[in-house]
Amino acid sequence: MTTDSPDKIIDRSAKLVFSFFLSSAGLWLLTAALFAYIAAAKLTDPFFLSSCEYLTYGKIKVAQANAFVYGWGGNAIFAVSLWILARLSQAEVRGSFFLVLAGVIWNLAITFGLLGILDGHMSGHEMLEMPTEVWPAMLISYLIITFLALVIHRSRQIKETIAPQWFILAALLWFPALFLIAWHGLEINTARGTLQTVLSMWYGQSLIWLWLTPVALGAAYYLIPAVLGRTIDKYYLAIFGFWCIAALAPWSVVHHLEGGPVPMWIPAIGTVMSIAMVFPIAVASTNFHATAFLDIGKVWDSLPLRFVIFGTLSYTVSSYIGVVFSLPAVAKITQFTIINEFHFNQRVYGFFSMIIFGAVYFALPRITGREIPIAAKSFHFWTSTLGVLLLLLAYLIGGLTHGVLAGQPSLEWSSAVIGSIQPYFLITKIAFVILAFSQLVFVVNVWRVIFPNPLRLLAEGKKEVSA
Amino acid sequence: MNNLAKFTIGIFLTLGIAWLAFVVGAREQYGDLTPSPQSLDEDGSVPVDADLFPVDLSGLAKQGAEEYASLGCVTCHTQQVRREETGFDVERGWGKRSSVPRDYVLQEHVLLGNSRIGPDLANLGLREYSDEWLHQHLFEPQSMIPSSLCPPSPFLYDEIDEPFHSDIEVSSGLDEDNTRYIRPSIRADRLVAYLQSLKQDYELPEVAFVEIPTEEEVVTEEVVDDSVIASTSVPTWLQQQMEAGKEVYMKAAAGGGMCFTCHQPNGEGLAGQFPPLAGSDWVLGDKERLIKISMYGLMGEIDVNGVKYNNVMAPPGIPPGSLTDDQIANVLTYIRNDWGNSASAVSADEVATVRSSLKGRAPMQMFTAAELTPAE
Repeated sequence: MTTDSPDKIIDRSAKLVFSFFLSSAGLWLLTAALFAYIAAAKLTDPFFLSSCEYLTYGKIKVAQANAFVYGWGGNAIFAVSLWILARLSQAEVRGSFFLVLAGVIWNLAITFGLLGILDGHMSGHEMLEMPTEVWPAMLISYLIITFLALVIHRSRQIKETIAPQWFILAALLWFPALFLIAWHGLEINTARGTLQTVLSMWYGQSLIWLWLTPVALGAAYYLIPAVLGRTIDKYYLAIFGFWCIAALAPWSVVHHLEGGPVPMWIPAIGTVMSIAMVFPIAVASTNFHATAFLDIGKVWDSLPLRFVIFGTLSYTVSSYIGVVFSLPAVAKITQFTIINEFHFNQRVYGFFSMIIFGAVYFALPRITGREIPIAAKSFHFWTSTLGVLLLLLAYLIGGLTHGVLAGQPSLEWSSAVIGSIQPYFLITKIAFVILAFSQLVFVVNVWRVIFPNPLRLLAEGKKEVSA
Repeated sequence: MNNLAKFTIGIFLTLGIAWLAFVVGAREQYGDLTPSPQSLDEDGSVPVDADLFPVDLSGLAKQGAEEYASLGCVTCHTQQVRREETGFDVERGWGKRSSVPRDYVLQEHVLLGNSRIGPDLANLGLREYSDEWLHQHLFEPQSMIPSSLCPPSPFLYDEIDEPFHSDIEVSSGLDEDNTRYIRPSIRADRLVAYLQSLKQDYELPEVAFVEIPTEEEVVTEEVVDDSVIASTSVPTWLQQQMEAGKEVYMKAAAGGGMCFTCHQPNGEGLAGQFPPLAGSDWVLGDKERLIKISMYGLMGEIDVNGVKYNNVMAPPGIPPGSLTDDQIANVLTYIRNDWGNSASAVSADEVATVRSSLKGRAPMQMFTAAELTPAE
């Protein structure tokens, strides 16, 4: 009788939790894809489903963002964070029952929250549109999961911590802090006037920068060395990059308020801090790409890593573009245009989701012991790449057109300005169809591994015995 | 980094400093703003008996704000006019001045928004749309603005088979037979009350109305033009009619025609987009067609001097379709006689005759060029 390696034991302890969060994440991904298609279709044909009050463009668009960030993003963060923390701590995942229970509550809360939005109970705060009734359930279930993640981390074998742990732990801890701040300022001790907007804008943007972003960066810091079998190049910079993000990101996000009815110092600080963000972006980019390009052949051959490097490249490019768009001279043109959609989709699809896909393809075979067919993974990679690039290019070029035309007061709004960007809405609709298809492949890949056909398992078992 | 407690304190500190600034600091700075009179006395004190702004919304309008939030209108419409140096909002006519924090202190839900697929609505109530127009637009935006992307909200209305005189007629611009009668629900009434209440039409101590500099340039041009008109020694009555007509042509506020925004102050139009008026066979030709277009607008393909244009001209006037017989007569006389054009004047009586001949036509129903060209 052979003893299992410690990694095997840890993977086995994570199996239930990882499978649960990942399969729920997959369902949310498909829900968001459906919403995204409906929203895009409504922009190309305003009469599409127009008689249904539950599906107005405003509601669907918001429901899509929430399903994506909290449903797909939240569940994927739980799955990937718990597994990476367990692996790095060399400690087993404990309290699986409570983790799954909390996960069920989280998912139910989001389900009711989205139904609430569609039923017209939107709160009107950015990324907090779900009705306040579900907020306590979200917070409690989240805290249970974070607590158990911290338990894993506390029982680690090696006291020394490394970059993936900082990023993932910080993200796990920042979310409830942000959530409580927003809850307090918006609902408990409600701020008056545009203070509400400052706070909800700050929350909504920080959610992307301090929750989704660090988890994806942490996963990249873990996966690149793990696959390539080499250490991160110029690793000593990572700590500087981490604290730069921690210190600058919460300040930089408010530059979107440029010119609005808020004190001028708020967007001004946002702009200055956005420019300062080039440092952490450069650090992460150097760490990832200097390491990856030492062994680019291996990156290309490993599908998980191909996803990760696509994500990190996307992060670098999009963040630099974000810095340029925060400059007041540029913001004057791009503010309030569909460039906002470019930023959002760039972050959540091009960067966060791509890295999560990579992490899942890396972890899933190790956890379940079953491989995903390479052709299926490859198909997923190419369709996502195509869909993401098409979507982002359409939003980028369409957004610039939108901004330039809107800046000419002689052009009539709906026929001349919005009419000119309608072709780009058609392209985004096509891109969302491609992405939906690609995500369906991903979810089928994942579900087939998590819930294998029992007959096939039996057949495989027989083969092993006869061998 | 290895001690979880110290690490946690560190990352919360960085977040906490930003929180102190944007939440605590900002609240400290302007959390206690209250409505104010339009201007203060010289010594900075509040004048006695002055009206305070902003004013609170009516109960119906407040309920309308809830409807606005719940339908997600904020996804496509902002409610903020940016400062001149950061945007084009005032030039676009979306407000008389930039919005300031005080404008929002009485609002329960502040719906500034950050995306403009639709126009800004901070001053919708100043654009003088009728309630009926807004209802028609909410029911089916495309019946009012054919190119609109705004999704229709038929669920806020009852369609009526046997209309009562207070019911609203909606005819879709493309299909004349498709005329329906709608009765607004209470929710639609709330929403319209809210939309009509959106206006920042007062000055505050911290912000004054913007004087648009381009208007001054226009004035100087006007002086030159007037001298040209005078030097060709046209009769006084024609000169007066043209001056009145030019005012309609150039005015971009209520009661004006706003013609210049598309056809340009020099009457040359914009290549490929808006046809020229100077030297145009349509302008110098049949008066009746011109009068009809000035009342109802024009949409679809049109051939001007052999060049094809395809665009939408909403019924001229602010609000649309509001030009009076006199105004139409004056503005048409003006465009037929400026920029080197020379054709007979149009009188208010001629306009009145055409208007009575079109009595049965639905308001705002734009003409097409084909409709106006006599069959051969």
